Amino acid sequence: MSEHLTVPIEMALTWRYASGSAMERFAAGLRERRIAALRCDGCGRRYLPPRPLCGNCRLPLAEWVPVADEGALEAWTVMHLPILDGRTGEPREAPYGMGLIRLDGADTTVNHYLDERDPERLAIGMRVRAVWRGDLRGAMDDILHFEVLR
Amino acid sequence: MRPANALDRRPVVVAGVGETGPRPEDPRSIPEMVLEAVTEALADARLGYGDIDAVVTASVDLFDGLTASNIAVTEVVGAVMRPETRIAGDGLAAALHAACQIWAGAYDTVLVAAHGKASMSCYQDLTRWALDPILVQPLGLDFLACSGLQASAMAVADPGAERRWAETAAVRRAACATDAASPCTAEAVLESAVAAAPIREGMCAPMADGATAVVLRTVAPAGKGEDVRLAGVGCDLDRHALGDRDLCAWRGLERAAERAYAGAGVADPEDAFDLAEPSCRCAHEEELFLAATGVGAGTLVSPSGGLFAGDVPVAAGLSRLVAAVRHMRGDAGCRRALAHGAWGPAGQAHVVAVLDRGTA
Amino acid sequence: MRRVAVVATGQTEHARSRDDLSQPELVRQAAGRALSDAGLEPDAVDAVVISNMELFEGRALPELWVGEGAFASGKPCLKVATGGTSGTSACIAGFHQVASGLFDVVLVVGFEKHSEGHTQTGMALTDPFWDRAVASGALGNFALSISQYMAERGVTEEHAARVAVKARRNAARNPHAHLRMPDITVEEVLASRILAHPVRMLDMCPQSDGACAIVVAGEDRAAGLCERPAWVKAAVTRHEQPYIGDIDRRLASMRTLREAARRAYELADIREPLGDFDVAEIYEPVSYSELAWYEALGFCEDGEAGRLIEAGRTEMEGDLPVNPSGGVLSTNPVGASGVIRVAEAALQVMGRGGERQVPGVETALATGYGVYAWADVVVLGSA
Repeated sequence: MSEHLTVPIEMALTWRYASGSAMERFAAGLRERRIAALRCDGCGRRYLPPRPLCGNCRLPLAEWVPVADEGALEAWTVMHLPILDGRTGEPREAPYGMGLIRLDGADTTVNHYLDERDPERLAIGMRVRAVWRGDLRGAMDDILHFEVLR
Repeated sequence: MRPANALDRRPVVVAGVGETGPRPEDPRSIPEMVLEAVTEALADARLGYGDIDAVVTASVDLFDGLTASNIAVTEVVGAVMRPETRIAGDGLAAALHAACQIWAGAYDTVLVAAHGKASMSCYQDLTRWALDPILVQPLGLDFLACSGLQASAMAVADPGAERRWAETAAVRRAACATDAASPCTAEAVLESAVAAAPIREGMCAPMADGATAVVLRTVAPAGKGEDVRLAGVGCDLDRHALGDRDLCAWRGLERAAERAYAGAGVADPEDAFDLAEPSCRCAHEEELFLAATGVGAGTLVSPSGGLFAGDVPVAAGLSRLVAAVRHMRGDAGCRRALAHGAWGPAGQAHVVAVLDRGTA
Repeated sequence: MRRVAVVATGQTEHARSRDDLSQPELVRQAAGRALSDAGLEPDAVDAVVISNMELFEGRALPELWVGEGAFASGKPCLKVATGGTSGTSACIAGFHQVASGLFDVVLVVGFEKHSEGHTQTGMALTDPFWDRAVASGALGNFALSISQYMAERGVTEEHAARVAVKARRNAARNPHAHLRMPDITVEEVLASRILAHPVRMLDMCPQSDGACAIVVAGEDRAAGLCERPAWVKAAVTRHEQPYIGDIDRRLASMRTLREAARRAYELADIREPLGDFDVAEIYEPVSYSELAWYEALGFCEDGEAGRLIEAGRTEMEGDLPVNPSGGVLSTNPVGASGVIRVAEAALQVMGRGGERQVPGVETALATGYGVYAWADVVVLGSA
């Protein structure tokens, strides 16, 4: 059986993404450690991340409401198989904890890292608080991770 | 395939149109752009999101730099808890599919939305990834180079070709001139830099950002009558390898047009159309379009400059449909139009729509 | 919608890597087999729909290159892509195209050649401002939702392991399946490498190279092309909000799948799913999701999914065999997986299931799942 011919191709592409005005404002807030959500006039749901429309009500979102940088753990896991860090292209060192966090003042949850990686010490309902970087850039990883408040 | 008789099918009316209009660089996010187009189309149709039964979107992941790129627009097209499907190709093909859904009786009112942002990346670099990765891509070709090969084949033994193309380009540019520096004379076009010989930059439509949306719906036969109706649609995918095709013709467009004509009951395209809105990215493509579709000298072609006003990837063909509809609304004498979308190297894939007013 | 039917299917042998075939050849194998199954020459196909998540192979507009493999040259050919639901979405698009009256016979081909790309990179291209600097990925997202689902509905790791065992044992009787493990045990699953708590290696679907095709025909052609066409009784789609955090208690609530099923059952006159369906091919990327789908699809009450699998009611000998093919857990070429669900459900109705045939199938269910919570529900019937 003959060997298969392979044609190696390397891909290096760049895109410039536009954030949208709501996200721009949100990011500006992050640089000051302020988190804000957009509240729907129709259903009252407070959305993170901000976006132009409430998908359920199909109404434009315009009202900004403050959101705390702490809240409750709605879901958690401990990742053993790290995915690529979208920013660096390198895998994150495993294992590490991740959670879906409902910050006080928001109705959607935020997916973020946790400082705990022992499944025996993680539970739904635990209170968690953001640990921020020193240098703030206006991105979600300005929060390094959430620490479990014990 | 049995050509479906137009009179047997439910009518498909273009109830509303909306678009951002092409811009060299739109600073807004994709959802914001699409929201503008959808808002305008719904208002134009005098409908709300609640009246939409289903959505067909058009976007290409690699062009947006996003996986499942239609996720970004789900909310602004009103697709939450609704049926949506995404055609990863020209927006006019998405409109063709939406028409099929209506003819099938699956839905009555379908929103079609397409978007593209050429400014996000180097579009031509992205097109390389659509070419055969074993035999073609390693040669460094992109869609523009393939167009150059097509133009080059057409120019063989046709010494007047480049001049004609320069004149066509000049006319189209003049029709949509917003930038005083853009070449509006044939001489200026012929003096512009070579893009992909023998194509000159002046012969190429400038790439742009934009979003376009259309609402299609069926209305009872006793309806308003003078609405613009999608009377026939056709689509074709030709062979991929340039060497497998006659590059001096767009045979795929001939087949797509035949299908659309059969559906619309157009017997002879020569005097059937008042207007044609082709997706011609380079001036030489107009000759290919005219030959393939058979529209006659009496047909007005791209009165507002066609894609020379701005070629938005993915949305271009749908923007031709919108241009045709707007023209027909403004001119009672314009009774039948042909809108066209194309994608792939040297016109590999085509989609056409025959638009007419009420009952033929 | 006018009556249309699936009259033939064809698929490749799915595997981790099909080095022996190029992408167009992979497509050709499935398309060719489907046409043979239908006894049709390529010229008899009026239009082609292709399903593929080409970003995973680092490509754009893949139909341009692979279309010839699907006999699409000189024909209308559209490319559909909606994440994991691409395949079911493409099948539904094929149904609509035939029902429109424009086309008598439509070929739908889904494919993916993960080995020829870099899926992880493709999947990392999510919302750059929200989902990239911090992201769990598909695996992590499931693990998160599973923690909520387990807490709320009382399913255990053992229940999930039973799903994984059922899938791979069923797959052993499917000559096309990628992962075939006739002797796999619950203990083996529970001992397999942990990926993201509580999800283990054997709880997860593979990445496969493969292609699958169906032939769709209208009412006046179907009977001539197939002895027992699989008639489309319902085809319903529901999409969801764009961020994982938008969807509360995702697996437990799954409103898209619940609503799509409710509507599909209404259209197809399904009153009691466990009794009315003879077989189901549901899209389960992770073992736990199958349990959540039992509840969302109404096979049991919320909170009863664990008991359903424990009682063996979804095994091959049970009340409602679920995934005789082995499911996505055994075979997952993303662009093809949804087509495989429809094809496997269809061939059960047609009686062409070979060793994996469930006896006496009159009504079959096929579902698609993608992104965070997109859902397609298709009901096929013998009449």
